[in-house]
Amino acid sequence: MNEYVDVDAMSPVDRAALKRLIMGLADSKRLMGIRYSDWILGAPTIETGVATSSMTQDEWGHARLLYSMLKHLGEDPVVAEHDRPAEAYGNLSVLDEPAENWAALVSAMVIADGAMTVALAGFAGGRFEPATSRVAKMVSEEEFHVSMSTAWYRRLADASEEAQLLLRAATDRQLPVALAWLGTNDAAKEALAAAGVTSTAAEQVASFKDAVRGVLASGGVDVDAVAPAGEWDTDRGRGLGQPDADSIERARGDRNRALFVE
Amino acid sequence: MNVILPLVPRLDAGLPAGVTSHKSGGRDVWTGPLGYAPKDVLAATWAALDEVLDPEIPISLVELGLVYGLQVEGGVARVTITFTATACPCMEFIREDITDRLEMEAWIDAVEIEEVWSPPWTNERITEAGRAKLKTYGVSA
Repeated sequence: MNEYVDVDAMSPVDRAALKRLIMGLADSKRLMGIRYSDWILGAPTIETGVATSSMTQDEWGHARLLYSMLKHLGEDPVVAEHDRPAEAYGNLSVLDEPAENWAALVSAMVIADGAMTVALAGFAGGRFEPATSRVAKMVSEEEFHVSMSTAWYRRLADASEEAQLLLRAATDRQLPVALAWLGTNDAAKEALAAAGVTSTAAEQVASFKDAVRGVLASGGVDVDAVAPAGEWDTDRGRGLGQPDADSIERARGDRNRALFVE
Repeated sequence: MNVILPLVPRLDAGLPAGVTSHKSGGRDVWTGPLGYAPKDVLAATWAALDEVLDPEIPISLVELGLVYGLQVEGGVARVTITFTATACPCMEFIREDITDRLEMEAWIDAVEIEEVWSPPWTNERITEAGRAKLKTYGVSA
């Protein structure tokens, strides 16, 4: 039987690490949703556009549930969702900018969404009760994303030379960053793993590689030969940089601020 | 040439007593309030809950397998529910419909709704009755 952590009894350092984890996952989900939404009316087929609409819905639902976990730390989720500047976002930095073409989004489906799912699964299997009770549903919804991403990655990897080049360029750019996001074993990650709140960074990297090895190989990429890359921001648990201003305006709901009904 | 369209009955026509609008659809099938004190309050409350339809699919929340638990104690109905998706767009409708339907009954003063995500809902939770109804609408589950 899993014995849950007592959040009130956690050290300030561990609480800060848990907050960083929740914010990083929630922000990544929110940004992933925005990246999917950009293609609802621009995907290669109508059916695929409809699929990105559903995936957008999933990602924002996951973000909402993750932000709500902050209440267990005495934090206000509304502030986290609607009142933070871009430089405070803890999302996987692959998602900082819109996908410049469809191949880049497909690559992000496999790499960014895949990395998030591994991190979520590690959280769901830990000792933080809100994660164990809520994240399994998110992971189950992500199964459909994997089907979609795998099919499209393989399709582009077998398409025209231009498609293959675009896919490879995006993969080469995103994969080292995702590996660093999962695998950088700083003090906060070590503390959460030691407390049994999440799986270890090494376990997450191994799970991620197992999940994507086959599909990336279809594009000629050997995930085991790629090294993690990117400078690390310890405060946010991500690479350097920040999301673009337009995306943050959408993430926060700035244009609807007068209509909030939280 | 002027075309005079026939008058269309108001949507709110024919609603049961205590129901003032079609907030989410399906309220016109509500039969309550019961009108007498049931011997089995819990069963009667389940029956009332079974009249609350999913706003998008015309079968009840109970048939859809979204209701994980129900307790009635001291005039308070405590309903444990989940949703089909983490970003279900009908969450607010469902909360309102559950509350409004149950509070129609004389033995219920208040409704408390607990939302849970474990175990995750899948279409395997749809009841046989729900599957049969969906089939008549041309939907397989």
